[in-house]
Amino acid sequence: MTFILESGYSFWNPLVWIILFLVMMVLIYFFRRQGQEKYKKDTEQAQIFLCGAEVPAPGERHIRVGNIYWGFFETLKEYYNQILKLHTGIINDYVAWFVAVTAITAVILLMAGLGK
Amino acid sequence: MATLITHSPILIIAIPLVAAFLTPLIGMAGSKARNTLVVVSLTFVAFLVFALARDVVANGIRVYTLGSASPSLTIPPGSMVPVRIILEVDAMSIFFGIIWAIVSLAAAMFSLSHIADETGQNRFYTLLLLMVTGGFGMMFTGDLFNLFVFLEIASISGGALIAFRTRSADTQEGGFKYIVVSAIAGLMILFATGLLYAQYNSLNMATLAHVIQFTASDKIALALLLVAFTMKTGMVPLHLWFPDAYSVAPASITGMLVITSHACMYAAFRVCFTLYGGVIDGLVVGWIIVITGLLTMFVGVTMAVFQKDVMRFMSYHAISQLGYMWVGVGVGLAVLGTPELGTYGRDAMTGGIFHILNHAMYKPLLFFTGGALFHCTGTRDLAKMGGLAHKMKWTAILYIIGTLSISGLPPLNGFSSKILIYESVYRFHPILTMTGIIVSILTLASFTKAFHSAFMGAELPEYEKVREVPRSMIIGMVILAAGIVFITLFPAQVVGWILRPAANALIDQGAYINAVMGAIP
Repeated sequence: MTFILESGYSFWNPLVWIILFLVMMVLIYFFRRQGQEKYKKDTEQAQIFLCGAEVPAPGERHIRVGNIYWGFFETLKEYYNQILKLHTGIINDYVAWFVAVTAITAVILLMAGLGK
Repeated sequence: MATLITHSPILIIAIPLVAAFLTPLIGMAGSKARNTLVVVSLTFVAFLVFALARDVVANGIRVYTLGSASPSLTIPPGSMVPVRIILEVDAMSIFFGIIWAIVSLAAAMFSLSHIADETGQNRFYTLLLLMVTGGFGMMFTGDLFNLFVFLEIASISGGALIAFRTRSADTQEGGFKYIVVSAIAGLMILFATGLLYAQYNSLNMATLAHVIQFTASDKIALALLLVAFTMKTGMVPLHLWFPDAYSVAPASITGMLVITSHACMYAAFRVCFTLYGGVIDGLVVGWIIVITGLLTMFVGVTMAVFQKDVMRFMSYHAISQLGYMWVGVGVGLAVLGTPELGTYGRDAMTGGIFHILNHAMYKPLLFFTGGALFHCTGTRDLAKMGGLAHKMKWTAILYIIGTLSISGLPPLNGFSSKILIYESVYRFHPILTMTGIIVSILTLASFTKAFHSAFMGAELPEYEKVREVPRSMIIGMVILAAGIVFITLFPAQVVGWILRPAANALIDQGAYINAVMGAIP
C-alpha cells in the first residue's frame, strides 16, 4: 500500500508530514520540560500581571470578533462598500441577478458560434 | 447479494422514500422507534451505496429500467429509443451518492440531540428523508424530467427544513427565499427540458446526447440549465440567497444543504460534459465556469472574513470553497477534446472532484460545530462568545480539524485536493493558482479569527453553566472527522478508487450513451 499521491508534476506523502509533526511535538514537549521548575499551578504565579494595573474581568479583556483585522477592513474599505451594496437581502434583487446572468450567458453562447 | 446490487439503484431512492412516509406512523409509537427507523434506513442505504460503488468501479455503468422485464433492458423490443424511466449510475454519480450517504447519516445522528427539544420532530425526519430521496434521485436519474422532479423534492423539503424553527422570523424568511430561488431555478430547468423535448422527442439524457445538434434553441436551453444549476449551487453573483437560507436552518440540515448544492453542481457538470459534451466548444463554456469559480472563491472568502454570525461566516466559506471545484472542473471542460486534457486537464478535474469530496466532509463538520455553539450558547453572534474551549473540548478539537482541512494546511486532506488543483490549473493560467492560494490564506485567517472569538480566552461568566454537546451530536461530527482523517492518510487510494474513475466517467460521454443506446453506429 502506498501513501504517495502523484499529481503528474510532483508527489505528496502525508506520512512524511505526520512523522515531522510528531517529531516536532516531542521536541516541543522536551523544551517545555526544561522550563521553570518552581512554577506552581493555581497559585499567585499563574495570575495575569499588567505592570501593576488592575486586570479587567474576563469578559472585558477578551478581544471580540469586531476588533480583529481592523487594518484589513480599513484598507479594503472601498471594496467592502461596493460588495456589501450588492448584498441587499431583497429577493427581487436576487431574481434580477438571475435574469441578467441568464441573458448574458445566452447571448455569449448564441454569439460565440460554439457549434463544432 | 447480486440481486441486491442489481436493484440497488432503485432501492437507494425507494428506501428513504418509504421510510419518510413510515416516520409519522412509527413516530406515534415513540421517538426511540422513529429515531431507530431513520438511522437504520440511512445506514442500510449507505451500505447499498458502497456495494453499488464497488460494483460500478469494477464493472462499469449500471442502468436500471423501471417497469421493464429486465432492469438492463433500456430499449423495449420494437422501439428505437428508450421510453421508460431509466436510472443510470456511473462512477461520477456513485461518487456523489457516497458523499450523500455519509453526510445524511451523520446529519441524522447529529439531529437526534440537536432538535431533541423542538416540536414537530416527526415532520422533521419525514422531510429529512424526503430530501435524501431527492438528492439520490438527482444523482442517479438518467433523464432530464426526473432530474427536475427530484430537484423539486429536494428543494421543497429543504425549504421546509430551513423554516423548521417557526419561532423566529429569520428562519421563515430564509425558507421563503430558498423556495423562491428553487422554484425559479426549477421552472427554468423545466423550460429548458421542454425546449429539448420539443426538438428531439426524448427526455433521456443519453438519447439526447446522441442526437443533439446545438441549434439556437439548444444554446438557450444550455444557458437556462447552466445558470439555473449555478444559482442552486450558490455561485457568485447568484449566491445572495445562500447565506440567508443556510445560516438559519438547523445545523444538521445546513450540512445536508451543502451536499444538495453539490448535487446541483453534479447536474451542471452532467449537462456540460454528457448532454452537450459532443457538440459544445468547451473553451468558451469552460472559461465562463472558470471565471465564475474565481469570482466565487474571492467574493465568498472576503465576505466570510467580514461576518460576525457564525453560521453566515460558515455559509460564505461554503460558497468560497465551491469556487475551487468549479475552477478545477472548468479547466477540464475548457481543454476537453484537446491534447491538454491528457497533460493537465484530467488532473484539474480530478482535483476539483477531490475537493468536492473533501468539502463534503469538512464543511458539514464545521456547520455542525457552529450548530453546537448555537446549541450551547443560544446565540450565533461570535461577538457574544468567548472562552468556550474550556467547556466544549470535543467541539473545539473537531473545529480545529475542520479548520485545518478547509484552509488546505498539510497534512490534512484539503491540502491534497488543493495541490492537485494548483499544479494543474497553473498550466492553464497562473492567475487561477495565485487566486487559489490567496483565498486559502484568507480562509485560514478568518477561521483563526472565529476560533479566537468563540473558543479562546478566559471563561466568560455568562457561559459558566455551558456543558459539552450531547453524545449523538459528537458522534455525528466524529463520523465526518473520521472521513477527513481517512482521506488525509490515504489520498492515493481514494483518488485511484473513485476520483479518477469519476473524472473519466465525466469525460467519457460515449460510454454513458452506449450504456443506454447500445453501441453508437
